[in-house]
Amino acid sequence: MIASLGWRLLVAVPVLLLATLVLFVVLRVLPADVAAMALAPGATEAEIAAMRVVLGLDGLLPVQYVIWLGQMLSGEWGLSAQMGVPVARLVGTALPATLELAALAGVVCGVLGFSGGLLLFALRREGGQREGRAALAETGTTLMMAVPALLWALLLVLVFALGWPVAPVGGRLAPGLAWPPGTGFLLLDALAAGDLAVFGSALGHLVLPAVALGLGFAPPVMRVLGAALAEAYRAPFIDQARLRGLSGAQVLWGQALPLAAVPALAALGRQFVLLLGGVAVVEAVCGYPGLGRLLVEAVRAADLPVLQVAGLAFAVVAVLAQAVVEGVCRGLAPRVRA
Amino acid sequence: MMRFLRRYLWPRWVRSGRVLLGLLSVLAVLAIAVVAPVLAPHDPLAQDLSLTLRPIELRGVYPLGTDGLGRCVLSRLMFGARAAVLVALPAALGALLLGGGLGLAAGWLGGRVERAVGWLAAAWVAFPPVVLALLLVAGGSGVAMAAMLSAWPLFCRVLRAELQAVAGRGHVAAALMLGFPRGQVLWREVVPAVLPAALALLAWVAAGAVGLEAVLAFLDLGGAPDRLSWGRMLADGWEVVFLAPINLVAPGVVLFSVMAGLALLGDGLRGTMGLALPEARLADDAMAGDGP
Repeated sequence: MIASLGWRLLVAVPVLLLATLVLFVVLRVLPADVAAMALAPGATEAEIAAMRVVLGLDGLLPVQYVIWLGQMLSGEWGLSAQMGVPVARLVGTALPATLELAALAGVVCGVLGFSGGLLLFALRREGGQREGRAALAETGTTLMMAVPALLWALLLVLVFALGWPVAPVGGRLAPGLAWPPGTGFLLLDALAAGDLAVFGSALGHLVLPAVALGLGFAPPVMRVLGAALAEAYRAPFIDQARLRGLSGAQVLWGQALPLAAVPALAALGRQFVLLLGGVAVVEAVCGYPGLGRLLVEAVRAADLPVLQVAGLAFAVVAVLAQAVVEGVCRGLAPRVRA
Repeated sequence: MMRFLRRYLWPRWVRSGRVLLGLLSVLAVLAIAVVAPVLAPHDPLAQDLSLTLRPIELRGVYPLGTDGLGRCVLSRLMFGARAAVLVALPAALGALLLGGGLGLAAGWLGGRVERAVGWLAAAWVAFPPVVLALLLVAGGSGVAMAAMLSAWPLFCRVLRAELQAVAGRGHVAAALMLGFPRGQVLWREVVPAVLPAALALLAWVAAGAVGLEAVLAFLDLGGAPDRLSWGRMLADGWEVVFLAPINLVAPGVVLFSVMAGLALLGDGLRGTMGLALPEARLADDAMAGDGP
């Protein structure tokens, strides 16, 4: 497993380099006036001309790319055009918030996906006269896929934050609570400081967005696990296990699930990448100050310095997450073609 | 004779309830989008500031009430269908052509082309689709273009896998050994075989594009602030949800119904047109274009 994981992480490096090229083309080649995007609105002609020189826009495109890549890699990210604050500080505070949210949402997605998959499989196995019920459950997952995370977030906030206020939204912490010093990962910092009030409040602020994301992205995991379990039960070693006298539960948990879990885990990895995209809108609905909201605000203000770093941060998280999941899946089952 | 008729005029996928339901909802949205100006009871932009936030009155002047500026909710829903269709149709078809073309080229030509397409797709999917769409919108592309460019790798991956499954079959190998040109074999034997998967995916990607359009409009990105879109209606309805809930519920229900129709269509097509891939492969690709 270590070898396959290491290999996937190694492959992630050229993929990320190519991703920077995509980012460069999208943000620096396609837009009409890049220099104006890198400056606060209302900049004078002279300032724009000076910025053009700073950005190297008078040079050849490949040269521009190399200069830009050097700036990205060395952390010279500059100031936000809109807010005038160092981009590093903006992304540095938003990224941990989003990572916490995405991690929790991934857990919710995994729990929902695996329990839903087991349920789908159980309904399908009953078979016979209850076949209609399995088909109904199947259609249910399709309908669930048609509810985007945006609608889940609106629904959950409406019911559980506004209608019947049990979970807070807006920010990461209830007002009045002191921010514990440390890494910016609020849950970890609170635990390290032993401050349970802060931990509870931070977790409470994460619940609604995480559940919205989990609900929005779990259905494909359910379907893959359901199908993979059905597939696993056709393998001869299951009959073998039954003949050895293992109980139904032992066959399911000990024999079939470990096999079926691998494709489901791979699907979870893919869904996690999509979920990172969903973060942008869910954070906006829930008022959660993460990277997604930063990105959306940067798009709205055409704030190039923030856009490029926030976009790159999303790509780094997505590629690393995907590499880890693929590496683990390959390690668990070498024949998985990830 | 009867069997011939059954097979060609009344194939299995037409008889699937999911396909019929999906087709029905898709055709309904298309029809409403086309005839919205005739069908809508009011001008969707006309404000009636004396009658704001009206509730549902099915027999009244405003059947589904009005929004905060006194604009007719029903008319806005009908015109919103146009935005959805104008994004989903070109995005899904463009992604099919671009991604499908690259995927088939990679799978059929192999070698350098395959490696190049593989790396391009890998770099492209490094960005979660919604993030990529946001960046593209920031870079000045339209919503439909952003939806298309964030969906093509899906077609590329699925059609390449389909092609590999088809290429291993006897009749393709036989056609090649009989000396038919490779291009002709691709067009006559391989493309028809991967078409069902492409059609199913088309429906799913269209659903994802409808969702993406709603998300971008909700966030008020990539278009005019007063554009007619279900996403914009959701954002407006969110402001007045306790005063006139219909403003949030109506676009939410419509958005869900349209996406559900497309997803059912894709599901039904996949289930009844006999795809080469086992269920698990396509199921996890389902709605991958669906960002939010």
